[in-house]
Amino acid sequence: MKSIKHISIIIFAIAIVSVFMAFITPQDQKKGEKWDIPEKYQTMVNSYAGDASLKKIGKMLYSKHCKSCHGSKGLGDGSKAAQLDTFPGDFSSAEFKEHTPGDMYYMTYVGRDEMESFEKKISDEEDQWAVIMYLAGLQNN
Amino acid sequence: MIFSIGVAIGQNDESKPEKKKERPVRSMFESSVLIDDQTSVIPIKNTLVMHIQHRFGLIKTNSASDLFGIYAPSANTRMGLNYSILNNLMVGYGITKKNMYNDFQVKWAFLRQTRSGNIPLNLAVYANMAIDGRKNSVFGDDYEFANRLSYFTQLIVGRKFNEWFSMEVNVSYTHFNAVPTEKINVTGYEHSVFGAGGHVRFKFSAQSSIVLLYSAPIFIEGMAENTDVLNDWSPNVGIGYEVATSTHAFQIFVTTADGIVPQDIYMYNTSKLGESEIRFGFNITRLWGF
Repeated sequence: MKSIKHISIIIFAIAIVSVFMAFITPQDQKKGEKWDIPEKYQTMVNSYAGDASLKKIGKMLYSKHCKSCHGSKGLGDGSKAAQLDTFPGDFSSAEFKEHTPGDMYYMTYVGRDEMESFEKKISDEEDQWAVIMYLAGLQNN
Repeated sequence: MIFSIGVAIGQNDESKPEKKKERPVRSMFESSVLIDDQTSVIPIKNTLVMHIQHRFGLIKTNSASDLFGIYAPSANTRMGLNYSILNNLMVGYGITKKNMYNDFQVKWAFLRQTRSGNIPLNLAVYANMAIDGRKNSVFGDDYEFANRLSYFTQLIVGRKFNEWFSMEVNVSYTHFNAVPTEKINVTGYEHSVFGAGGHVRFKFSAQSSIVLLYSAPIFIEGMAENTDVLNDWSPNVGIGYEVATSTHAFQIFVTTADGIVPQDIYMYNTSKLGESEIRFGFNITRLWGF
């Protein structure tokens, strides 16, 4: 009789724990640490600056390579963003606006951790800067 | 005097227009395969490409009772790996369910259309050798390993007209060392066939396109081995939707051919669009850069 009581208590405890576990939500994504960007990248000059013809190219490349994580407006809300451990960043934030084009070049084509290098996926220099210019445009959203 | 000559030379150097670096056009096609065709596209050097190509059964055979061929037992699949040794040279290997073809392939893109238009076309050659991997008994009493071999060579000419429209045409030559014999009640097969075809891409967004394909064997009577019984050769037609991401290309389509290895399609495709002999299929391409 005593053992049945014990079993009942265990089953009840498991049931209570299961109910509470159902309400557990994943922890918030961590915010990425500050990027350590070498000076040569910080001061990098975009030799394609002002080339308006690259705007459309930048948008198309962004849609293909970046949108799934960073979202269509660069708010960090792409369809794959929730699967990442680190928040992909909000390009419209004041913090991101402080970055130079060279910083963005480093983050995109050297990368770190989950933000892998896109140097081989976007291998042409003109295309690389077209994406950076498009990112810079998203900052104004 | 010497000073003035020096100035003149200096002026000449400055006035010389800077030579602009020629670059190939951006992504003429999203993958090195398009439905059943090869494209002239080769991913950049040191890229490994995995292909999964699948063809379901005929839509009309059992209609809804096998979900329009999707659950039909007659599906065909090819799994393959390609590697770009150079920016314009790719090698690969694949294995296909139909006839257990093991194919070894090479593609060389020897001319690339440039953004400036100085080179207006892509030109590439594709060649493969396939080994029929079925049991020895399939090849009759006088079995020889050479009977398993078949070859395919193709010249591909492509042009990207604008961001939304690309087109390629091709000519090819197929040769099988051995073709079905009287043993399996088929006579008259040719060992070799020429072919021609083309495919187009209508890109309607940054990632999405409509793709079409047509290819046909070309029977040349003067070169035929046998004109009493002709092969039941049929053109191959395909139409589909393609979506590309950073490292993938997905193509979902309907096509007439059940084969995937090109020489099999040119030599043995007997499905006819006019008789609604079409099937669903898909290709998945995955890229890894090293």
